[in-house]
Amino acid sequence: MIFKTFNPLEDKTLRIIDNDGKIINKELFPDLDNETVIKAYKSMLYARTADEMAISYQRQGRMYTYPPNMGQEAIHIASGLIMRENDWLVPAFRELGAMLAKGVSMKEIFIYYMGNEQGSNFKQANHVLPICVPIGSQFLHATGIGYSINYQKKDEVVFSFIGDGGTSEGDFSEALNFAGVWKVPVIYIIQNNQYAISVPVQNQTKSINLAVKAVAFGLPGIKVDGNDFFAMYVACKEAFEHARAGEGAVLIEALTYRKGAHTTSDDPTKYRTKEEEQEWDKTDPLIRMKRYIDNEGIWNEDEEKLIENYKQEIDKQFTEAENITPYQLEDVFEYMYDEMPDILRKQKAEYKQFQSWKEKRI
Amino acid sequence: MRYIFNFPDIGEGLEEGIILEWYVTKGQTIKAGQALVNMETDKVVTDIPSPKNGMIIEIFGNIGETIHVGSPLVEIETEESVVVKTEIAEKEVLEEGAAVMGTMELSGNNAALPSSDEGSLKIRPEAALATKALATPLARAMARELKIDINNIAGTGPSGRVTKEDIQNYNIPSQSNKIVERNESILQEGLTDLTTFEPLSQIRKAIAKNMLNSKQNTAHMTLFEEVEISELMRIREKFKQKSTDRDIKLTYLPFIVKATVQALKQYRSLNSQMDLEHDRMIYKNRYNIAIAVDTPEGLVVPVIRDADKLSIWQIALAIKELSDKARNRKLTLDDMKEGTFTLTNYGSIGGIFATPVINYPQAGILGIGRIIKKPVIKEDMIIVGNVLPLSLSVDHRIVDGGDASRFINLIVEYLSDPVLLIME
Amino acid sequence: MSVMTIVQAINNALDIKLGEDKTIVVYGEDAGKEGGVFRVTEGLQRKYGVERVFDSPLAESAIVGTGLGMALSGLRPIVELQFDGFTYPAFNQIISNVSRMHNRSRGMYKVPLVIRFPYGGGINALEHHSESPEALYAHIPGIKVVIPSTPHDAKGLLISAIESNDPVIFMEPKRIYRAIKQEVSEEKFSIPIGKAKVLTEGTNVTVVAFGAMIRECQKAIAMANQAGISVELIDLRTIYPIDKETIAESIKKTGRIIIVAEAPESFGVGAELMAIANEEAFLYLEAPPKRVMGFDTIVPMAKGEPFYLITPERIFYEIERTVKF
Repeated sequence: MIFKTFNPLEDKTLRIIDNDGKIINKELFPDLDNETVIKAYKSMLYARTADEMAISYQRQGRMYTYPPNMGQEAIHIASGLIMRENDWLVPAFRELGAMLAKGVSMKEIFIYYMGNEQGSNFKQANHVLPICVPIGSQFLHATGIGYSINYQKKDEVVFSFIGDGGTSEGDFSEALNFAGVWKVPVIYIIQNNQYAISVPVQNQTKSINLAVKAVAFGLPGIKVDGNDFFAMYVACKEAFEHARAGEGAVLIEALTYRKGAHTTSDDPTKYRTKEEEQEWDKTDPLIRMKRYIDNEGIWNEDEEKLIENYKQEIDKQFTEAENITPYQLEDVFEYMYDEMPDILRKQKAEYKQFQSWKEKRI
Repeated sequence: MRYIFNFPDIGEGLEEGIILEWYVTKGQTIKAGQALVNMETDKVVTDIPSPKNGMIIEIFGNIGETIHVGSPLVEIETEESVVVKTEIAEKEVLEEGAAVMGTMELSGNNAALPSSDEGSLKIRPEAALATKALATPLARAMARELKIDINNIAGTGPSGRVTKEDIQNYNIPSQSNKIVERNESILQEGLTDLTTFEPLSQIRKAIAKNMLNSKQNTAHMTLFEEVEISELMRIREKFKQKSTDRDIKLTYLPFIVKATVQALKQYRSLNSQMDLEHDRMIYKNRYNIAIAVDTPEGLVVPVIRDADKLSIWQIALAIKELSDKARNRKLTLDDMKEGTFTLTNYGSIGGIFATPVINYPQAGILGIGRIIKKPVIKEDMIIVGNVLPLSLSVDHRIVDGGDASRFINLIVEYLSDPVLLIME
Repeated sequence: MSVMTIVQAINNALDIKLGEDKTIVVYGEDAGKEGGVFRVTEGLQRKYGVERVFDSPLAESAIVGTGLGMALSGLRPIVELQFDGFTYPAFNQIISNVSRMHNRSRGMYKVPLVIRFPYGGGINALEHHSESPEALYAHIPGIKVVIPSTPHDAKGLLISAIESNDPVIFMEPKRIYRAIKQEVSEEKFSIPIGKAKVLTEGTNVTVVAFGAMIRECQKAIAMANQAGISVELIDLRTIYPIDKETIAESIKKTGRIIIVAEAPESFGVGAELMAIANEEAFLYLEAPPKRVMGFDTIVPMAKGEPFYLITPERIFYEIERTVKF
């Protein structure tokens, strides 16, 4: 229904609260109890804290290059709130909050960014794919999973993410096209954070917006204020219902801003201005939600103390990540095949011979 | 625990940064993650956070100063008692380098390579080819199995190749070859009625190495002397009971050690080492006398340290202790090191004179033979004497004949009249 | 003469060619305004304008496909793919069209296209940023594959690639992008494609390598020299077409060959050179040719990479084994 009201061809945007946290669309305001709203805010706060700490760890030289999520938390938490245990998360690489909502631990995230694939072997989280480095390719995977769900008549929905840059990849179009033909229960979410490394979205496509690309493939599309938790929730909820009812896939364009750099090795001052960053800061999802909560007067916990607790807990997980069993030679070979071929076995043995030689010789 | 936090390589390929602003002061309590300082680098202006909780003890660097990656930023007194690793892996120092992904290595202050040019090196195979045989891997394997150097065989095949026939023909030996081959083949076939094989023990290998090394690196020269030791024997007999009371077995060896040490003090070239690498002599200020001990596994040479500071009885005790340890294979590395001069006593086994091998890199070794009753001349009269034979090998590079003679004569003097030893 | 890193040498080559030939354009993701994530194209947009040096949308297949179109219609495009592991979306364009157009049109259409990308491991990166796919491309008939190991060679080889009327894949060893500085002439010069270079003369064994591995081989050779082994080091510089002659001459002299490369061992440059050793110098071989390469595994992430990357110790180990055969 909202897909018709907020027609991307008319460049409409779904927004429910403004920058001051005031409700501007009472009709569509979701039916969430205060407890859930506060829990969502806390999740966003946790994700933001974890992100800042990750950047700090990288700066301390304890972790490698990391892509910050700052500014995009509402998208992650809103969709995360809707995802059930058996629903699928097919991420790109900037969806920390959603991964946490699905049960991935910060420890696992840290292990990954410390340079160990072990971090992608999620111990608790069900139906979450590892982060996907080849841009945009994950959408095709999401489409395939969607087909499988239909085929097996399961009650599952796929949430997949991509960036504004990823929409230029051929795989994006191919995935949506197949999604239309196969009528898969997949929610494709574009996190339009305005930049693909240094290239602004205006130079990525001349389309009036990204949501409109759904039309080419016969799919409903909607543009949403991605920094508005409530709007994201509503959009994801309707898309979820749509998919679950067997109506097929939806494309959501979530407008947001990449507050940080592309990665900790990127320098945004080379291609954007402080003024622009400050303009977008006014739309920060955490600030807006906090304002809403304050306006409603529904929460009086000590936020400072909460953040302190989060920091301690996250630091504990980081320390655990630093102390896992070190990478073994076996780990290089073990996971290549279900059944290790002889040639690999031989290569590993030859390397072990070199290791013993080295111990004595060097 | 005190912890120095160095300016980390934060993966942006930084080599250095300029301090713009300090957020903390000496004595301030800080938390992990708290920003310590604002640094300007080639790429970004960034805060550097503390990796630990604690108190700032020291701050390194003033505003405007350049700090290199790896140099100290602050010293923190932490609450921990355990060292926590804060770096992930050893990486070379990184300078600035944009990458968006990964840690880049930068060339730093290393000198630049000189300019390249093309084609200044030619392959030049001619020299090598002149001495090398052409052959298939099969032919080479054949030659190898027969233990023939294929390069010695003239090739009659295509392209001058050494063929199988060439190798087989080469294998018809001349007479001398036959004998050599037969001997070698005996060794190789291990016929048990002619030979038995035993692998070399570590000790044997070490002894072999040391002996060869000593002979190859020094100029061995041996002097022989005889000492009439009736007086020494009398003294020993006199103190035998008192020694036994103290659980000490008194032999002649402690006296010989004492005499040697006194002589070394006067002729320091015998207690030295030649250091050709640095063009210098190394004179030892201590008198660590090594005593060769025969064990079932072979010869070991433990050391009596600072023998000049020990009494006869103490030396006797040290000798016993080391011999026991040697026979029980309980000698430690400490027992074996830093010897400055060696004594070897084969007299108890039965030899008279010998040409002992120097314990390289020492300058000399004194061999002690067995005491024989011999006719000697004393005050123009023939009497029965107790003669102890001495064999002194010296490194003639270091010790001239004159000094060697004077040294051994002094020992003879001490052993002839042992009371001289307490006079010194 | 000027002291340059590989990044600067490549930038210099592009600058010189952009300056003298108006048909040349340079583009890729982040290659325009930002000057490339490794800053290889830094300053070029400012100097030559946004029509000649520009950012493209995020689509590797499109980058190469449009590059082909430009090359067929009067331009000489130099396209940049951001990382080795991201060239694969363009693989279809490369193997199905770029490499075939000349043959398909019986020479009517030439393809003066250069495809540049950083390759190789050793930078603690995520997956897809440490690959060494030279064998995949070298196996495609119709294209050339070039890999420099020094700033001087990077400049000279790139200029040759740009001036060639054949499509060239120009792979840049990112690990040593800034790790080596060298005196390089600021003048224009070119180094012929298809010619290997003997870096060090030796008599006991030939070591063949390229890219970032040259430096590791040089360290290994220092160890070998200490052990009394004389090593001849050859920098391949061009993977396809490979310089068989230089390699063969060297094997005839030393009788032994070791190939060092990062890529997975099976079906790679090592196998190719071993075949050449057999074909061209069979009778001169005194030991089996040996390839020292990566495992047939995905390049591990940072914590596992030390097992995978070829180190000087490992090269020395194989040199010793080969010489003792």
